[in-house]
Amino acid sequence: MSKALVAVNTEESRGELIQLVSFNLDQEEYGVDVLKVREIIRMPVVTRVPNTPHYVDGVINLRGKVIPIISMRKKFGLMEAENDKQTRIMVMDVDGELMGFTVDAVSEVIRISGSEIQPSPAVVASGIDQECIAGVINQADRLLVLLDLEKMFSADEKSVFGSL
Amino acid sequence: MPSIDCEDQELLEGFLAETTELLEKLDDDLVVLEKSSDDADLLNRIFRSIHTVKGASSFLGFDLLVKVTHKTEDVLNRLRKGELHVTPEIMDVILEATDLVKLLVSDIKAGDIQEREIDGTIAKLLPLLSENAAAAQTQPEAAPAAPCENPVPPVSESVAPPVINPPQEVPQAPQQKSAGDVVIKKTPPSPKPADGKGEDLSDNTTVRVDIKRLDDLMNQVGELVLERNRMIQINQNLQQVDGDKIDFNEEFGKLTKRMNFVTSELQMQVLKMRMLPVEKVFKKFPRIVRSMARDLGKEVDLQIFGEETELDRSVVDEIGDPLIHLIRNAMDHGLEGPEQRMAAGKPRVGTLVLSAVHEGNQIIINIKDDGAGIDTDRVGRKALEKGLVSEEQLAAMSQRELFDLIFLPGFSTKDKANDLSGRGVGMDVVRTNIKKLNGLIEIKSEKGQGSEFILRLPLTLAIIQSLLVEVEGEVYSIPLSSVLETLRVDQRQFHVIGGQEVLKLRDMVLPLVRLERVFRVQKREEQNDFCYVVVVGSADKRMGLVVTRLVGQQEVAIKSLGNYLANIPGIAGSTILGDGRVALIIDPVGLVENGECGSGR
Repeated sequence: MSKALVAVNTEESRGELIQLVSFNLDQEEYGVDVLKVREIIRMPVVTRVPNTPHYVDGVINLRGKVIPIISMRKKFGLMEAENDKQTRIMVMDVDGELMGFTVDAVSEVIRISGSEIQPSPAVVASGIDQECIAGVINQADRLLVLLDLEKMFSADEKSVFGSL
Repeated sequence: MPSIDCEDQELLEGFLAETTELLEKLDDDLVVLEKSSDDADLLNRIFRSIHTVKGASSFLGFDLLVKVTHKTEDVLNRLRKGELHVTPEIMDVILEATDLVKLLVSDIKAGDIQEREIDGTIAKLLPLLSENAAAAQTQPEAAPAAPCENPVPPVSESVAPPVINPPQEVPQAPQQKSAGDVVIKKTPPSPKPADGKGEDLSDNTTVRVDIKRLDDLMNQVGELVLERNRMIQINQNLQQVDGDKIDFNEEFGKLTKRMNFVTSELQMQVLKMRMLPVEKVFKKFPRIVRSMARDLGKEVDLQIFGEETELDRSVVDEIGDPLIHLIRNAMDHGLEGPEQRMAAGKPRVGTLVLSAVHEGNQIIINIKDDGAGIDTDRVGRKALEKGLVSEEQLAAMSQRELFDLIFLPGFSTKDKANDLSGRGVGMDVVRTNIKKLNGLIEIKSEKGQGSEFILRLPLTLAIIQSLLVEVEGEVYSIPLSSVLETLRVDQRQFHVIGGQEVLKLRDMVLPLVRLERVFRVQKREEQNDFCYVVVVGSADKRMGLVVTRLVGQQEVAIKSLGNYLANIPGIAGSTILGDGRVALIIDPVGLVENGECGSGR
């Protein structure tokens, strides 16, 4: 659990500034805690790994470390899209392990105050698991969905990885 | 005493480390002592060890430990002064006490001191401290002649002799021979210094290093190896493409060679740092063999060779259990009792040989007994009785396959389980652990002559030699330790038996696994009649992997796929190729198992 996200829920830290990395996925804008993002890289050669869930694109060599690559689009049940020049892999720390997530594009690092985060509406479109949505940030001209990646893989799913 | 109230954690850790080391050595020493009971140095060393443990534990306030070690020390002291003499019975008690000490220490280590029953053991030690105990020993001839079938406790004998002789008059010679039914012969490891001083010296030249640090270093060296591979590849590309820059190419070629050399050396050095002599595992066996021999009423001569052979820590940690099971198996099922042996015209004392030797990148551990051997008829019958095989299966089995039956879980030739064996677990453990290490087991046995278990294990698990293969355009790596041979075969030679593709290979029918099917690789258009079959073996199973092309042999560093992708069937890990791409390492063990299920469906 990220510290920033815990802080969101406590009253006294509402005014605290949080930095988010925002990225695009199928027209929508999402954000993750900047402290969780290790680096952002272009698409390298991905080695397919057999017998894994469909949203696992494979593994890559990140300077001598082999890390799994998860397609955010596939994971969230969005339409698949061809990788283009904008496609990036966000290497993130999930539960102490490095994982790469393919996203359509990474835009910027934004600062918001904790009070701007609103709980997510009960029904969120586009099939994204409710679990990993930490909140919604509603600014004048944009709507940002804040993700908590550590909730992305349920305990079930983690064991499914093993049994598949 | 629920928790340990120790102010100085460091002190406690030091105590635990030292005590564990002392106790390990102690076991070994005690068994040797039984054989050479007049070795004053040895006795003194044992005494000192126990004394040190006692001192440290009383300082830290571990009362139970102090009580036990104190009494043990007293008994040892009497031995040392010559008031008592070493007999199997005394050794039994001392060993029991040592076990208790170990138990107590492990409690402390676990951070959870329990109220253990120690009075029983202490009660056994006490008689040895009375005057009578020494008297019992003055009957020199009674004990040695008595075979182990009717062990007479020394205390009961002490009633008989009316005269209490001074213990100094006890003849020494028969005492030595009375050391019991086990004779432990140890071939002296060549570099070992003869006296205690040399050992102290060798202790000073070693440094304890956190295993984590070594692992990190190993990882970094692994990376260096990868960079080297990459450099070699770039060099090759350069040589092919650019013919004119001859000077540069030559220089670069030389550099590549040197770099290759240095990296390999460095890698070897780091690997060696992680190496431990197999003695670490072997040294507990004399003790186990001794107690088993006494329990079973058998006479065994355990010979250990090659205990200085070194192998990786991770492997050392894993082979202990399988070896214990194999030794138990040999003691319980292999070797016969003295009478049976005499009747069969064999020497009364059975021989059990445990040896370790390097062979290339492997270590070969051999457990050989001159017992009854494996009775394949009986094995087959039992397997049939237990419903592990069908009658037709049994009839079709070769000698080797019959031997392999003993590895089946639940298989045992015993009708009733006892303390030692009969549950059909042990050999299954052996197979499982050896598989886990990417090792192979081979059995040789002749009825009436004895049996031999040969384990082939990789020296390390961090860097492996591997065979790179291509499956429809994707490159996979197969650990060379599991590869037995490779063949180029015309696909028309494949046969299908019950939906399973097989290949007739000499006298063997080899089940085949098509990797492109298991790994769901997209098939490419071109159809080629010829393909390659990589014959892999895991523990006692063999199978052929069908691949499109063989790429070559390469030394690769194993990279974990991380927690999220762990346990993918058939994939053991990954590695990085010279061009920076990731290649998956095939886990032949997993595949063999999957293959079994697959053929059943």
